[in-house]
Amino acid sequence: MKRPGGILVIYKYLDQVCDAMVAIRGRSDFKDHEVFSPTSYHEIDEALDAGPSQVRWFTLSGALTGTLTGFGLGLWIDYDWPLVVGGKLPGLYSIPSYVILGFELTILFGGLMTILGMLVMGRLPNPRQRILDVRFTDDRFGIFVPNVALDGEQARLLKQFGAEEIRTIESE
Amino acid sequence: MSDEIKWNRTISDVNDGILANLGKPHPSYYIAWGAAIICVLIGAFTWGMEMTVGVGITGKNSPVYWGVLITDFVFWVGIGHAGTLISAILFLFRAKWRNTVNRSAEAMTVFAVITAGLFPLIHMGRFWFGAYWIPPLPNTNNLWANYRSPLAWDVFAISTYLTISLLFWYMGMVPDLASIRDRMKGLRRGIYGILSFGWRGTAKQWHHYEAGYGFLAALATPLVLSVHSIVSWDFAMSIQPGWHTTIFPPYFVAGAILSGCAMVYTLLVPVRTMFRMEEFIRPEHLEACIKLTLLTSTIVFYAYGVEFFVAWYSGNPYEWGIFEKRAIGNYAFYFWVMVFCNCIFPLIWWSKRMRNNMAVSMFVAVLVNVGMWFERYNIIVSSLAEDFLPGSWGHFQPSLSDIALSVGSFGWFMFWFLIFCRYFPIVSMSELKLIMPKPLSKKH
Repeated sequence: MKRPGGILVIYKYLDQVCDAMVAIRGRSDFKDHEVFSPTSYHEIDEALDAGPSQVRWFTLSGALTGTLTGFGLGLWIDYDWPLVVGGKLPGLYSIPSYVILGFELTILFGGLMTILGMLVMGRLPNPRQRILDVRFTDDRFGIFVPNVALDGEQARLLKQFGAEEIRTIESE
Repeated sequence: MSDEIKWNRTISDVNDGILANLGKPHPSYYIAWGAAIICVLIGAFTWGMEMTVGVGITGKNSPVYWGVLITDFVFWVGIGHAGTLISAILFLFRAKWRNTVNRSAEAMTVFAVITAGLFPLIHMGRFWFGAYWIPPLPNTNNLWANYRSPLAWDVFAISTYLTISLLFWYMGMVPDLASIRDRMKGLRRGIYGILSFGWRGTAKQWHHYEAGYGFLAALATPLVLSVHSIVSWDFAMSIQPGWHTTIFPPYFVAGAILSGCAMVYTLLVPVRTMFRMEEFIRPEHLEACIKLTLLTSTIVFYAYGVEFFVAWYSGNPYEWGIFEKRAIGNYAFYFWVMVFCNCIFPLIWWSKRMRNNMAVSMFVAVLVNVGMWFERYNIIVSSLAEDFLPGSWGHFQPSLSDIALSVGSFGWFMFWFLIFCRYFPIVSMSELKLIMPKPLSKKH
């Protein structure tokens, strides 16, 4: 799939990029824009205003599956080959022993699904990684707006928040 | 705490400062690595001998069938506790000092748990005859593991802990690996590009990443507390005097965090000097680690006291007999080393001057690690050697093979830790940037 060109605006300061994000949020002429940050500043998350992450549903489904699997495994094995100790029948009588299995698999499956959620929602792994500027993993912030030109209204608006640099990105 | 730190650096200095380790290392690095390999070879040779000749070459014999090897297992699992405690629990408590030490502490955890996981196998000798029945594998005899046994629980606990710690550590590293990718050229850029999954640092990626990291921390928090509790049930669920006690889970967890934090300190002090990270891993951060060590040392001190009190107050002659012998019997040496190293020497850290004296603190941290190894030895060996019937009593003496396998485990651990120090970011750069002054254009 062809990746669109556009403009890349680079900021040195956190408050500048946050102000720019708030100004362009939800505007149709900034559709599909991307914001880059060297770390997870809460100010950026607030300016993004994306609502709660969907990763939580991955975690919940994994954790519940783990709980059921843990208790299910113990009970199934117990019924399949009962080890009757102290006259206690298999199954429900032995449930306290399976709390450990249920607990551990809750954590294990919940953790694995959380990782899966982080990857899926973050569109990772991304073998065709498009690195627009190597400084975004160092100390600079940036906004990429696809399908707009350097002399357009969008570029003018973003520049006025104190952009350090602004340049065109070719489609590829 | 770190809010009060006057940073001499800005976030622009972080990547250059932290990634200095990717350059040519100090000669001492190669010496340490060579020493680690020699230790690994000693351990591997001894394990090979054990598989060929039999488990008799270790000191194990009736009635002490859990000797040095299970001591090593519990010791290394304990070391593995600080990493996830620092990354998960301190993350939820928003303790900012963790941001400089969490990466290396997590790496320590992963390598320590891998090392620990080897010991039940080494303990079995020809492990392929003994290990297959622990996971629930379908088999023609229709037999299953007994999940009312704490040993079977332990398999689940340790493997879950290893998996979650490994994932937590690696996911935390993904943005930093992308930073390395962006500084590299050619093949190395390609390798770090694959390792970083193509991370780009978009606001949306950070949004989901932060949420996921928080959930992982929330899941890992009860896990940290549960793992050593479950290890302690390997002992406490039996009726062996000295083991059959309800205080074991919290006592083991506190001991594990004590040894883990002491090991974090022991590793970080040389690492920050070797890779010139004094500006980032600040004395204030190391002092916070020492405070945590001191706190857990006092909990362990209290647990030792309560154990004795309960043994006496219970009126159970077998229980009291074991505790009496621990203090003045055949294994008294191990007991007193344990008490002095874990409880008495750390008291020096009540003094702020001593906490900030790295030479003194390093020495005491090493002593704590020695003490924690002796604690596990003391618990395992003294209880097994002399239980209910005097007719079945025996004596345990570690053999040369026991010592060689223990030395090998330290080499194995250091081998991996040193590789990590050479090719991966030792400090979490993205998290370090969060505790440094924010890059703002105007005064807020």
